[in-house]
Amino acid sequence: MRSKAVLITLAGVALYAQTPSLKIDLPSDSPVTLVSVDSGGTDASARGGAFFVDVHAALQLRNSSQRRVRAITLSVVSQEVTPGGKGSVSVPSLDVAPGEVFPLGVDLRLLRPIGSVSGTAVEVKLDGVLFDDLSFYGVDKLHSRRTLTVWELEARRDRQYFKKVLETAGRDALQKDMLDSLNRQADRPQPGVQMVRGRATNADPEREVSFAFLQLPGAPVEPTNGMAHIAGNEARAPRVEVHNRSERPVKYLEIGWIVKDQQGREFLAASMPADVNILPGRSSQVTQDGGLRFPERTAIQSMTGFVSTVEYGDGSYWIPSRASLNDSKLRRLVAPSPEEQRLSQIYLKKGLTGLVEELKKF
Amino acid sequence: MTAHVAETNLALYVSGDVSLWRSALVSLHLAQCSRCRNRADAYRSDRTQIQRIASEMPVGVESEPDWDRLAMEMTANIRVGLAAGECVAPRRRKPVTLGWRPAAAMAGLVVVLASAWWLNMPPSTTQALGRAMTAIWHGHGSVMQEERGLVVEATSSGIELRENGGTLGVSQGAARPLAVSVSVQGSASARYINADTGQMTITSVYAQ
Repeated sequence: MRSKAVLITLAGVALYAQTPSLKIDLPSDSPVTLVSVDSGGTDASARGGAFFVDVHAALQLRNSSQRRVRAITLSVVSQEVTPGGKGSVSVPSLDVAPGEVFPLGVDLRLLRPIGSVSGTAVEVKLDGVLFDDLSFYGVDKLHSRRTLTVWELEARRDRQYFKKVLETAGRDALQKDMLDSLNRQADRPQPGVQMVRGRATNADPEREVSFAFLQLPGAPVEPTNGMAHIAGNEARAPRVEVHNRSERPVKYLEIGWIVKDQQGREFLAASMPADVNILPGRSSQVTQDGGLRFPERTAIQSMTGFVSTVEYGDGSYWIPSRASLNDSKLRRLVAPSPEEQRLSQIYLKKGLTGLVEELKKF
Repeated sequence: MTAHVAETNLALYVSGDVSLWRSALVSLHLAQCSRCRNRADAYRSDRTQIQRIASEMPVGVESEPDWDRLAMEMTANIRVGLAAGECVAPRRRKPVTLGWRPAAAMAGLVVVLASAWWLNMPPSTTQALGRAMTAIWHGHGSVMQEERGLVVEATSSGIELRENGGTLGVSQGAARPLAVSVSVQGSASARYINADTGQMTITSVYAQ
C-alpha cells in the first residue's frame, strides 16, 4: 500500500515536471506591455540530474511608449547561477510606432536542475529596449544596450548605403549588390568553434604566435602588437596592445579574430570584447583568459586581428564604414550586419520591389 | 717392483674387510714392500687408538654402534621436527571456490553495470574514451584529453553550451541559423530569420 502511494506521488511529480510554467515578467513602467502569449509548445524532458526546458512561445507585445522601438532584448532564465540556464532573444531592425503591436518568438532550450521543479520553470524578463533616438530602457544585465545600439548603427549605415545605391545607380545596381551579398553569405566559411575556459589540454606543444592586424580607416583605436598561445587546433589567452589615437577616452572595444589554418583556409573565429579605459593618445592591453578550439586536424598557422567596435567614454560608438568593410579579406570572412542579412532575405522572398518598399519604410 | 697398494685397499685390508684373494695379494706385496708395510702398520696403530677412545665414551654409545637403530632414531627425530614446524607456521587460507552459478550471476551483474555506465555516459565522454582506447590500441604515445570545463560551441547548425563533457544548455531554433558567432568572454549567438514575417531574431547563450 505504501509503495503504491510512493509511486503515485512520483508519477505526479514527474507529470508536473513535464509541463514547465512560463512567466513573463515585465516591469510596471516597461515601455512594452504583454498583449498575449502562446506557450503551448513549451516542454521539458529529464536528462540525468536536470531538465531540458524547450521554450517555444509566441509573444505579442505592444509599444506603450511615446517613441518608436528599434530593438528589444528579452532574457530567458531557467536558473541564474548554473551555466546553461541563461539565454536571450533579441530582435533588431524593428520599427514599431507607439501603440503598435509586434510579435516576438522565443525558441530556446535551457537547463534546469531537477531539484528545483517547484515554482516557475522559465522566466522571461525584459533586458532592454532601444528607441529610434538611441535612448535605452532596461536593466541591461546582458549588456543589451551596447549590442542593440551597435546593431542599430550598423542597420542605419547599411540602409543608407543601399538607398544611395538605389538612388544613384538604380534598381539593377541594388539587385547586383543583393546577389553579391547573398553569394558572400553562402560562401562565407563557418567552421565549428569552441570557446573553452582556461587551458584546454592536449598533448601538442604550445607556441606563441603573433597577430597581424588589419588597420581599418578611421578606426579610433589601433592594435599595435599581439600574440596568443597556439597548440595544434587550440588558441588561448590572446593579448593585444591597442593605442587610442582619437581625442576621446575609450571604455569598450571589440577585436575580430581571424584564423588561418595549414591549408590556407581563413575564417572569423571569434570576437574579443574588452572593457577598457584608454585615455586619448594612450595605450593599453587587452587580455582574455579564454581560448578557442577548432575542429580536429585544424593546425593554426597565423592570426589576424581588427578593431570592429569602439565605445567612447561618453557612450557614443564607432563602427567600421561600408568602405572600410570593402577590404577583400573582411568581405570574405566577416558576416554582414543583421540588417543586411534581413534585407537580403526580403529580396529573396519578395523580390526587388519588396526590398525597395522595405527601404522606403525607414 | 709392482705398484704400491691403494690407500683404500690398504685400510680395508687392515680392518679385514677385503676378500680373501685381495687379502693374499696385499699380504704378498707387504712382504716385499717396506713402504706399504709401514703404512699398514700406521693404519693398525690408528685403529687400536680409535678402539681405545671408543671404550672411553659415555654409557649408551657403544664402540660398535648399531647403525640401523641410529638411522631409525634420526628419521623419527626429523619427523618430530617437521611436525613441530607445522604447528608454529602461519595458517594457510583455504582457497575459496565458487560454483558456476554464482560466477555466472556475478559476470552477468558486471555486464549489466558496465552497460549501464557506458550508456549513461555523455556522448562526448563515450567518444573521447573510444578515441583514447583506439589510440592506446594503435600504440600512439599521446592521447588527447578532453576539456572538462565549460565549453561554448558555435557550428553552422547552431550554438551549444556544454560542461563536463555533457551538453548542459542548447539554444537553437528549428531553422538553420544565418550566422553564428562566439565571444571569447563566454557567449555565443545565432541569427535566425522568420520566413513569414522577415523578422530577424538573434538568440544567445551565456556561460556566466
